[in-house]
Amino acid sequence: MKVYSQLRCLAKSTQFQNLFAASKEIFGIKLFRNSFDFSNIQMIFLNYLYMYDSIMRDIATENISKEVLSDEIYEDAYMLYKKENRNKTVKDNKNTIRNFHLVPAQKMIFPKKSK
Amino acid sequence: MENNDRLQEATKIIAEMNKDSDLNRVEEMIKENKITFSYEEKQYRVRVLNIREKEELDGLRRKKFGQLMQDKDILLEKDLIKVYKERGIDIDKIDAEIKKLETHNDSLYLKCGEAISKNESETILKSYRDQIYEIDMIKIPIFNAQKTLLLEFSLENQLLNYVAMIITYLSLDILEDGIWKRLFSTFEEFQNYNNEELINKAGSYSMLLQYKI
Repeated sequence: MKVYSQLRCLAKSTQFQNLFAASKEIFGIKLFRNSFDFSNIQMIFLNYLYMYDSIMRDIATENISKEVLSDEIYEDAYMLYKKENRNKTVKDNKNTIRNFHLVPAQKMIFPKKSK
Repeated sequence: MENNDRLQEATKIIAEMNKDSDLNRVEEMIKENKITFSYEEKQYRVRVLNIREKEELDGLRRKKFGQLMQDKDILLEKDLIKVYKERGIDIDKIDAEIKKLETHNDSLYLKCGEAISKNESETILKSYRDQIYEIDMIKIPIFNAQKTLLLEFSLENQLLNYVAMIITYLSLDILEDGIWKRLFSTFEEFQNYNNEELINKAGSYSMLLQYKI
């Protein structure tokens, strides 16, 4: 078993997902013994914790089936698709906002003063 | 028949236990930010470098860079690529092939992700997965291995290998009488050390821990 697969296995475990959720809510609960100076492997692990947190939420809200967790390729594919979709939505929203004028004066045509 | 079943069951249990033990080791590694391992009945560990060691690393790296730049026999990656091109080996072509495969793979990942979010059938997902796996695990690594071999002696690669060596030298500790101490006190001592197996093991562990350098 490769190290990255092992990291993923730990990050998606109930134990670490609970600990991760608790560490965000309760001050003093720590994932690592060190609270700064994080190593490369710890940073990668943190990324995996966020990734599985997001997938688990989508499974809980029944957006997707839990089959996604049966293969690392499915997990990565789903996250990539989700990210792309979110970027697209943000871009679309920006365009909508750009076409929406809060200041009516920008579109107002004032009658010319008669001489 | 019964014996066979029991043997299979035992193999399964051992595999499961090994998996658990590997996971415990990785869990320990993440929590402690150190990797402890045994080699020939002695305990060793690699750890993250402290500020003083990082400064030493930086100094040695700069010194080596200066030496490599002065050596006319060692070419920069871009110059080595030119030399290869003159001899009919096109590394840019390999890069283009890798890029093409990665773009194709990204689109497969997106399609697979869309299929997952639409709860499509396992057959469809499996077909995407197999295609992705082939590109990720077979096709791209072949091109990458070709490129790595060709550029092995470039200045950049020599510097990277040297940095990996220094990190191993600085981060490897040994447990003696219950106290952790550095295995090597000087770089010369490290260079003259003849146990390559231990160095390789420590090297691969220390690379896992370090920041991107």
